[in-house]
Amino acid sequence: MNSSSRLLAAGLLAGAAFFSGCATTAGVQNPCGVAVTEMRPDERGFVAGTGIESQDMVAVTDKMARSILGIAPIARAQVPPSIVLEPVVNNTRFPINKDIFLTRLRTQLNSKAMGQVSFLDREMMKTLERERELKRSGQVTSSSDPRPVEFGGADYFLTGKLDGMTTRTSQGTSDYVLYSFRLTDARTSRIVWEDSAEIKKQGLEDAAYR
Amino acid sequence: MLWLGGCATLPDDIAADRARAKAGGPATAADRGAPALAERNRVLVDYRQAATALRAGNFDEARTRLDDAILRIGGIITNDAEAARARGLFAAESTKPFIGEPYERVMAYYYRGILYWRDGQPDNARACFRSGQVIDSEPGQNGYSADYVLLDYLDGFASVKLQADGADAWARAQTRAGESKTLPAYDPAANVLVFAEFGYGPRKIAAGEYGEKLRFQTQDSPSRSARLLLDEGRLVVPLPAYDDLGFQATTRGGRVMDHILGNKAFFKAGADTAGNVALAGAVVASEQARRRERRGKDGDDAEAAAIGLGIIGLISKVAAAATQTQADTRQWDNLPQRLSFAAVKLPPGEHRGRLEFLDREGHVLASRAQTVAISVPADGRDAVVFLSELKR
Repeated sequence: MNSSSRLLAAGLLAGAAFFSGCATTAGVQNPCGVAVTEMRPDERGFVAGTGIESQDMVAVTDKMARSILGIAPIARAQVPPSIVLEPVVNNTRFPINKDIFLTRLRTQLNSKAMGQVSFLDREMMKTLERERELKRSGQVTSSSDPRPVEFGGADYFLTGKLDGMTTRTSQGTSDYVLYSFRLTDARTSRIVWEDSAEIKKQGLEDAAYR
Repeated sequence: MLWLGGCATLPDDIAADRARAKAGGPATAADRGAPALAERNRVLVDYRQAATALRAGNFDEARTRLDDAILRIGGIITNDAEAARARGLFAAESTKPFIGEPYERVMAYYYRGILYWRDGQPDNARACFRSGQVIDSEPGQNGYSADYVLLDYLDGFASVKLQADGADAWARAQTRAGESKTLPAYDPAANVLVFAEFGYGPRKIAAGEYGEKLRFQTQDSPSRSARLLLDEGRLVVPLPAYDDLGFQATTRGGRVMDHILGNKAFFKAGADTAGNVALAGAVVASEQARRRERRGKDGDDAEAAAIGLGIIGLISKVAAAATQTQADTRQWDNLPQRLSFAAVKLPPGEHRGRLEFLDREGHVLASRAQTVAISVPADGRDAVVFLSELKR
């Protein structure tokens, strides 16, 4: 091979190396993106953290609903007991939509209890009181006598609490969350049921962010 | 040249900001009200616009922006192709999706915590303050533990508001504040929470021969503390500076990414030196070939060596030039320097007052004073007041 050929070969080689380095999507995973995937809410997605996620909420509320329905005050009650849901207290380091836990728990209980329990809608109290006053004042019609107090009183209060513990080391971040729920007898203040679920997650982020 | 042109990275937005500022234009993206940038800068834009919205009293906008940012910074980023590329030799650190340094992420949670409290959710506010403290902690680096005074203080105060015990958090906050400052005891009856901030926050700069070292600088603000005068000066609410973001930015220890950038700089320097040596060798070999040819001897070997060394030198120089060592200096550029808080009990109704900023000697910086209006609800909910010296 003469020197001109060598020069040409080397130039081509270097050029190929350079241009391969410049390929805009070289080494990029999924350059065209990932098509929308429908997932079950109890399934871990590819977007994840160590915080409270949909699969945790589904697992926890399913477990709690099953557990509540099995207890004697509910299963053997002659009259379906009335339950008021109180807001969940969040003691973790993760801000959450607190209503979503109780909403799912209530819908699970309502769908599985087959009339074993009834829930009192205290969120609607202001609206209901206003409607009752309108009926009592004759401003709107009423299909029954609006004077008696018919708003139901609670037999039980159902509430929950989320507690968390975080460990952070050079090996990663670990978060433990304890989900505890309890049912309190409104008359005696006795806790008639309590159950918990615990979830621990850990991960280590990309070195580019450490 | 063609190759280098093709590989050119996007212009550094900070350098562009400086050039605009020199020309008398708006200094920052926040000043310009710049539209959304690339997806990799989405969190940065969220940060800036959230702070601007907070100061303008546009709390819905601030909430939306912070939620969008926290959605991205709250998880564990793994297997991210852009992050992996940013670790590579030929891509700049700034090509990774921005989430900010810990002091920036902490502030996203801090601001969101204020908004949660304003919305009557002190437990979610406390969750944000706790997340901030976790982000600030630096495992494995002695002396760089989480040390925000306010995050612990507010954690405890939220607990007290929730009828829980805040004593531990108060004690932690007092330890972090040091002996020179005595934190106020929690007053569960306090119904007006005043969050104040003043001074301009830290700026990132790329230092080192190849810009591979991320450094921070803060122009110390003359506003060292503040006070709120209410009801025609009858009530004076002191607002001392509990936390300093300049201090927080510079006292968190090294990053793993600094090590990676250091390796890139080492490679760049090595490749550049190798290129210089090879090109010098090529010149010598070429001269040798010409000399042999002038003497009528075969100079092919020397010529081949000159060409080979020239190619190696060229490749090395190009590789050195293409190595991206610059530390990522994208920054949340409208952060404050100092953070303060006070809780007071006021009767329901409208209260007018004046916010004054004080210098090191305690003199009022008259030109910086602001009028303040506080509306205390009658329904028992806390009034959360956000006061900033910064305009945007």
